[in-house]
Amino acid sequence: MSIPKLEFPPFHLPPEAEALRVEVRAFLKETLPRLKTDDRFASWNTRSPEFSKAMGKKGWIGITWPKQYGGSERSFLDRYVITEELLGNGAPAGAHWVADRQSGPLLLRFGSEEQRQAILPRITAGECYFSIGMSEPDSGSDLASVRTRAEPVQGGFRVNGTKVWTSGAHRNHYCITLVRTSGQHGDRHKGLSQLLVDLKTPGITIRPIINLAGRHDWNEVTFTDTFIPESCLIGNEGDGWLQVTSELAFERSGPERFMQNFYILRELVRVLGRQPAKRASAILGRLVARLWTLRQMSVAVAGMMQGGKSPAIEAALVKDLGTIYQQDLPEIARAIAESDATTEQDMADFLDVAQYATMMAPSYTIQGGTTQVLRGIVARGLGLR
Amino acid sequence: MDRDTRDMLLETADRFFTQRCGRDVVNGVEKGAWPADLWQEIEDMGLPLIAVPEDKGGVGGTLADMLALLRLAGAHAVPVPLGETALANLLIAAAGGEPKPGPATLALGNLALNGGRLSGKVERVPFAAVAERVVAVVGNTLAVVAKANAKVEARPSHAGEPYGTVTFDNAATELSAASPASAERAFELGAVMRAMQMAGAADKVLAIAVEYSKQRVQFGRSISTFQAIQHMLAELASCVAATIASAEAAARDADEGGLLDGGRFSIAAAKSQASEFAQRIAAISHQSMGAMGFTHEHILHHYTRRLWVWRRDFGSETFWGDKIGAAFAKAGPDALWASLSASKYAA
Repeated sequence: MSIPKLEFPPFHLPPEAEALRVEVRAFLKETLPRLKTDDRFASWNTRSPEFSKAMGKKGWIGITWPKQYGGSERSFLDRYVITEELLGNGAPAGAHWVADRQSGPLLLRFGSEEQRQAILPRITAGECYFSIGMSEPDSGSDLASVRTRAEPVQGGFRVNGTKVWTSGAHRNHYCITLVRTSGQHGDRHKGLSQLLVDLKTPGITIRPIINLAGRHDWNEVTFTDTFIPESCLIGNEGDGWLQVTSELAFERSGPERFMQNFYILRELVRVLGRQPAKRASAILGRLVARLWTLRQMSVAVAGMMQGGKSPAIEAALVKDLGTIYQQDLPEIARAIAESDATTEQDMADFLDVAQYATMMAPSYTIQGGTTQVLRGIVARGLGLR
Repeated sequence: MDRDTRDMLLETADRFFTQRCGRDVVNGVEKGAWPADLWQEIEDMGLPLIAVPEDKGGVGGTLADMLALLRLAGAHAVPVPLGETALANLLIAAAGGEPKPGPATLALGNLALNGGRLSGKVERVPFAAVAERVVAVVGNTLAVVAKANAKVEARPSHAGEPYGTVTFDNAATELSAASPASAERAFELGAVMRAMQMAGAADKVLAIAVEYSKQRVQFGRSISTFQAIQHMLAELASCVAATIASAEAAARDADEGGLLDGGRFSIAAAKSQASEFAQRIAAISHQSMGAMGFTHEHILHHYTRRLWVWRRDFGSETFWGDKIGAAFAKAGPDALWASLSASKYAA
C-alpha cells in the first residue's frame, strides 16, 4: 500500500531567530502603547503607516532581501519570528504586510533591476504599500479566467478591465495586477502577465466595496484605456501564471492563517478569570493545544522552505486547518463565556470582540484560496486527481 | 542511536510487523488468543528494550527512538503491549533495576506504597490480562509487582485489547526503588507514547481510505474521482497531519528536554490534539468507505477502534485540556503568547 507521505519534521527556530524575537518583543512593548489605533482587533489587516515606518527603521521589513535593496539578508526564519510576534502582540502591521510578504519577494524574483531599485528600498523603509490585483467580478477561485486585458501599444500597454476585492487600493501605492497580454479569454494559463501598476495612474477608478461588517477594506479597481508603461511589466510577457502561483505560495503558509483573530483567545482568557471551572479550562486548553499544533506545523513548513523544499501540500493543509480553527474559535469562545464569564461587564466587553470576530470569520476560508481550492490541491497531492 | 541505525531498525520492524501482525493476529487477540510467538519474536529483536541502556542489556536507544518505533507499531495495530513494556523497562532501568523478559504494563493511578508493599486499584490498565508484571510509580518511587501478586479483573477495551482493572492488596514488590521519573512524569510519558501510536494509526487510516477510494468503482468510475470524496479525504489528511505534527513535536521535546521533565507542555498539547481529532479521523474514513469499512472483516476498525480507545488512555483531551487551560487562565492573557510560542505551560 502506498502511504501518502505527510511529514511535518519538528523544527527548532534557530538561536539567532529567537534572539531577534526578544528584540521584537521589546520594541512592540515600547511602541504599541504609543500608537493611536482605535482598532481593538489589530492584526495583519489593521493599518498604521506610523507603525510600518517604525518597523522599517528597525530593518524588519524585507529582512531577507539583499542589502542593496534595503534588506538585511537574514533568514526566512527571522522573518517568520517577526510575523508571528506582530500577530501574537496585536500589532497594526497591515500597511506593509502584503508588500513584505509577497509583492517585494515577487519583484525580487521576477522584477527588472529598475523596478527593484525604484520600489524595494521604499518597501523596506515602511513607506510603500501594495495591493493584490488578482480577482475579478467573473474570476474568483478560477483565477486563470481573468478578462482584464493589457493590449500592447507604443511604449507600453493599454489596460481595460476591473479588479475586485482589492484590499487597501484606496490607500496603497501600487497594485500588482494580473492581466491578459496575449491570446483570448479562455486560453487559461497562457498569455497572462503581471503589471506593476501605480494606483495614481490616470484612467484608474477606485470605488469602495464595503464588507458585511461595514468596513471599507476592499475596492473595485477599474481600468479604462489606462496606459501602463512597458517598464512596468514584471518578468516576461506570458509568464504571469507561473509568477502568480509562486506568489500564492507566500500567501498561504504564514502564521496569519491561524493567528488572525488571536485577540479572541486573549479575550477568552481574560473573561474566564484566573480560576475557571474545570469544564471551561478544559475547553480553553484544547483551543490552546490546537493553536500550538498549528504553530508546530507552520514552523515545520518554514523549516522545510528554509531547507530548500517547496512543501505546497503541507502549506495548503496549514491554511485549511488554520482558517477552520479561526472560524471555530469565536464560536467555542462565545459558548464557554456564556456560562463561565466572571462578571457581566467582562461579558459585555468580550461580546464586542466576539461579535466582531464572528462577523469576520467567513472571510478566513475564502481569502487566499478557499477551503475548496485548498482541498483540491491536497487531493492532488494524495494522488486522487 | 544515530539516524541511519534508527532508520534501519524501523525498516526491519516495518517489514516484520507487516508480515506478522496481519488481520488474523489482531482479530485473534480480540478473541482472547495471546500471540506468544509474536511476542517472543519481538523480544528476540530486542524491541521492548529499545530505550534501555546497553549496560543493562538493552539496545541503548533514546526515548525518541522508542517513540518512533511506537508510531510504527501504531500504524500496524501491533496487538501486544510493546509500548507499555518498552516504557516500563525504560522506567525500571532508570530506577536502577534490571528489566526482565515478558510483557509488562503500567498501572498509574491512585496507589499507596508502604514498606515496599503496594495497595490500591487502577482501572483500564492496558494489557493487564496478559502482562507478566505491572509497573507502578507512586510519588517518586517505582514499584514492580509480579502478576501473581496482583488481582486482575479482565475488562477488554472497545478495541478488543485485553485491558483490565488491577487491584493491589498490600502486594509484595519485585522491585521498589527511587524513580527519577515521578508518577506524574510516568503518566506524561504514557501520553506521548499513545500520541505517537495514534499518529501511526491515523496515518494508516488515511492510507487505507485513499487506497480504497481509488479501487472502489461506483457509477462507472472510481470514487476518488468524485469531488465530494476528494474533499473529504483532504479534510481527513488535515486531521491526520495535525496528529502527526503534534505528536512528533512532543516526542522531540520530550526527548530533548530529558527524562525528568522534557516537553511537559508539548506532551499535554499533543495528547489533547490527538484525542480531539480521533473522532474526525474515524468519522471521515468510515463515511468514505461506506458499509465495507463498517464490517469486522475489513481492517479499518483495527485502527479506528484503537483511536477511539487511545484517546482516553493516559489522559483525554479533557484531562490535558484542563491542565493547560488552568495554567493559562491562572497566568492571565498577557502570558498567553509568550508561553504558547515557547511551548511551555504558562507560569
